[in-house]
Parts: sequence; structure tokens; C-alpha cells
Amino acid sequence: MTVSRGQVTEALREVFDPELGMSVVDLGLIYAIEIAAGRVRIEMTLTTQGCPLHGSMTEWVRKAVERVPGVVDVAVDLTFEPPWTPDRIGQGAPL
Amino acid sequence: MSSPPAARSGPSPLVPLGYLTCAAVAFLAAAMGIGWLAPDLAGHYYHPRLLALTHTVTLGWITLAIMGAGYQLIPIVLERPVWSERLARWQLGILAVAVLGMVAHFYLGTWPGLAAAAGLLAVGIGLHLLNVGLSLRGFTQWTFTARMVMLGYGGLALTTLFGLALATHRLRPFLPGEFFPTLHAHVHLALLGWITPMIFGVAARVYPMFLLAPVPGRWSSRLQLWGLALGLPSVVLGLVGVRGLLVPGALAVATAAGSHAWWVLEVARGRKRPGLDWGLRFTLTATVFILPAVLLGVSLAADLLSGPRVALAYAVIVLGGWVSLTIVGMMLKIVPFLVWYRAFGPRAGREPVPTLADLSWPWLEGAAYALLTGGVGLLAAAAFVGGVGGIRAAAAVLALGALAFVLVLLRILGHLSPRFQKTPVTLVV
Repeated sequence: MTVSRGQVTEALREVFDPELGMSVVDLGLIYAIEIAAGRVRIEMTLTTQGCPLHGSMTEWVRKAVERVPGVVDVAVDLTFEPPWTPDRIGQGAPL
Repeated sequence: MSSPPAARSGPSPLVPLGYLTCAAVAFLAAAMGIGWLAPDLAGHYYHPRLLALTHTVTLGWITLAIMGAGYQLIPIVLERPVWSERLARWQLGILAVAVLGMVAHFYLGTWPGLAAAAGLLAVGIGLHLLNVGLSLRGFTQWTFTARMVMLGYGGLALTTLFGLALATHRLRPFLPGEFFPTLHAHVHLALLGWITPMIFGVAARVYPMFLLAPVPGRWSSRLQLWGLALGLPSVVLGLVGVRGLLVPGALAVATAAGSHAWWVLEVARGRKRPGLDWGLRFTLTATVFILPAVLLGVSLAADLLSGPRVALAYAVIVLGGWVSLTIVGMMLKIVPFLVWYRAFGPRAGREPVPTLADLSWPWLEGAAYALLTGGVGLLAAAAFVGGVGGIRAAAAVLALGALAFVLVLLRILGHLSPRFQKTPVTLVV
């Protein structure tokens, strides 16, 4: 079963920042999605370094993507380069 | 790819929540005490019972709230773990007893007991400074926020020493000069050296974060920093004797405060957050109080206005308006987050959990907003006029607002109990 970028993005739309009430996709926190033979790598950021949701948010992302049919492994890498800015809001997931 | 920041090693949410809960209790007590002390408030502000009220606000409410928020925010805004969680818990116990002791002895006018409680307070504050100092060992990222926070902790240390000196002076007079200017210097050291830099510094990091806004130009930050750094010593020295420094110092502080207000306005204008919750409305409205505070402060410094009525109105606008409404707003952001993180964070990802907004009580937050902002304005006007009836009426509005705020907090804190965790769910992870 092949995994599409659209399926992964839809799964990520269910992961919300609890304070802002917006999904990680709508906030522009997802920098990259790579899919190869059921293995998914997500590169993402947070709105601020030192965000207390640092550990939790990556775990929620991993679990949400793991639920996509055909996904056998998920790796979530957190980066602060480039730093997130409000301009990223509404840009959606990377193509 | 960056490494995970050290800030994840923040303290248990129960540590800041303990401070913030004690602060909220002090806020409610102070708001209720205003009506009780209305006849005293209609007279001169230097009265033992009014000193009890003032220290309930400045120590019980403002200082405990800032310290509690500090334990939550240091890992976020300065990206450093808190050195000792256990010390933070002990320190809260010491401070709570010390503040209660100080307020009681001020109220009764028993000076030896006051000096003892002030000594205990100094121990608690010293432990806080020790914990913060060790948390920031090796810190090198001297951002605007970091500089302001450092200025604030330095101001807290000096204010404490100054207060100890005043308490000792009551037992065995030794301070040179007149008493009232010295008292005013203590008040302004606390306001401009401790409270103001902490608000400026933390605002610089969290307002754009909460409002999803770009950070405005750096010139505003420079004006805030230099205005306070030059204005604080000038005002304090001007009050204790070097009179020529008072007006330039007041103008420097006014520049810093005005620049901060402009900065907040720019952040609010540039926000991408859809809609403002009540916490943010409180915080933004608080900033509006800066303008009358600056006008009154400069007028008092330049002797354009004088007397206890103006001084009391000034105190209400600054402490009740700008500072208290800012803290109420920030608590309505921080407390739900801490409770959510504690109660639902471990469950998120495995089962549906609520958003922060689901934990709150929006209509009561709105009522608290109307009552507290209106009550502060009314109290400032009533204090200026000096009528007991007007002060009592304004105090009743404020007390209702404080009660509404505390009830909102209680509802949020109730989610820590498993009994109340079956909240309507809007978040699916």
C-alpha cells in the first residue's frame, strides 16, 4: 500500500496547538514531508524555541502519522532553522 | 538541524501553579480589603492599614505572581532549566508566611513583628534570587528579555534591602533625610526596578508568541531598556535627595513606558491570531493605563500636581490598572496551559483531549474583564476625589471582578482533579 503526501497532510491537520487552537499544518510548523516505502520523515518546527510542548508536539505528530494506512515507520525531526515566523501561518504543508 | 532546547526540563506545573494560586488569593483579599478600608483610603495614604493593603498587593499578589510566572517562563523565554524545583517549593512556603506576617503586623501597627516578618521575606526572596541565579549560570544570550529580567532581579534585591532598612528604621531610626521621600523611593524602586522590567522583558517574548505577531523594530526595545536603566536610578536618587535628577528621571521612565505602549500597539496591529481571548484583552487593555500613569507620574515629579489624593489615584492606575490587569491577563493564559499540560498532556496523542479554551469559562472571564477594568477606573477617580462612598462603590465593583477572576481560575484548576476531566472535546490527536 502506497502512502501519499495528501494522507500524511490530512493526518497532520488533526494535530493542534492546544493554546492557539490551530493545526500544525495551518500554523506552518511542517517544513518537510518525505515518504519512501512506507517510511515517513517529518521535519517540523515550533512557534518558539523553548516551547513547553517541545517533547509532546513531536510525539503527537508521530502518532498521528502512524495511523495512516501503509505507514510502517515515522521519524519526526525538530528544527529551528529557519526560525518560525507568523508569515508561515496559512501556507499549508510543503509540496 | 538544531538540538532540542534545554528548556524542556521545566519544573512541574504544580510549582508555578502554587505561586499563582497564592497570588490570586492575595488579589481577592486585597480587592475585598479596599471596601473595608475605604475610610482610610479617603485620608492620607501613610496609614498602617493602608500599608497592609499595599503590601498585600505588591508582595502577595504582584511579586508571587511574577515569581510563579518566572518559574514557568524562565525555561521558555531564557531557555534555561530551573536549578532547583524543591527550593522553589520551600521558598513559596517561606514567602507566604512572611507576607502574611508583614500584612498582619502592618495592619496592627506592631513594628518589631513587622521587622521579623520582613527578615523572613528577605530570606525567601534571597532563596528565589539564588535559584534564579543558579538557573542562569553560564547564560550568554543577552537579549532584550534577558537584560530586562536581570534588571528586574537586581531591582528586587535592592527593593528588599531598602524595605529592610525602612523596617529597621521604624525600630531604631538611622536613615538620613525626610521619611516620605525615602518611602517614595522604596515604592519606585519596587515599581521601576522590579515590576516594570519584568513586565517589559517577558512581554517582549510572550506577547508576539500569543498574538502570532512579528516583533516590531528594535529601537523601541532600546528606548525601553535605556529609559529604565537611566530613569530608575535618577528617580530614586531624585526622591532621596538629589532633587535635580527627579524630573529628568521621570521623563526617561515616561519615554520607556511610552515606547513599551507603542510596541504593544504595533504587536496588536500585526497579529495573525484570529480573535482575542479574554486573557489577551486584559493584557492589551492594561497597556492603555500606561498613558494616565505616565501623565500623573511626570506631573507629580515636576510638582505640577501634588498631595495624597493624586498620589493614591496614581498608585491605583499603576498597580491596579497597568500591572494588575496585565498579570490577570497573563494568568488567564498561563494557568490553563499549566493545567492542560498536567492533566491532559500525557493523554494527548492517545485519546481525544480538550483545547485550552475548553477548560475555561468565557462568559465569567468577560464579566471579570468588565468589572475589573471598570472597577480600577472608578477606584482611581474615587481615590482622586476622596469620598468614602465613591471608594466603597468602586471597591464593590473591583471585589466582584476579583471574585469572578478567582472563580474562573478555580474552574480551570478543577481540571487537575480526575472528576472534572470529562470536558467536551474539540481536539482530536
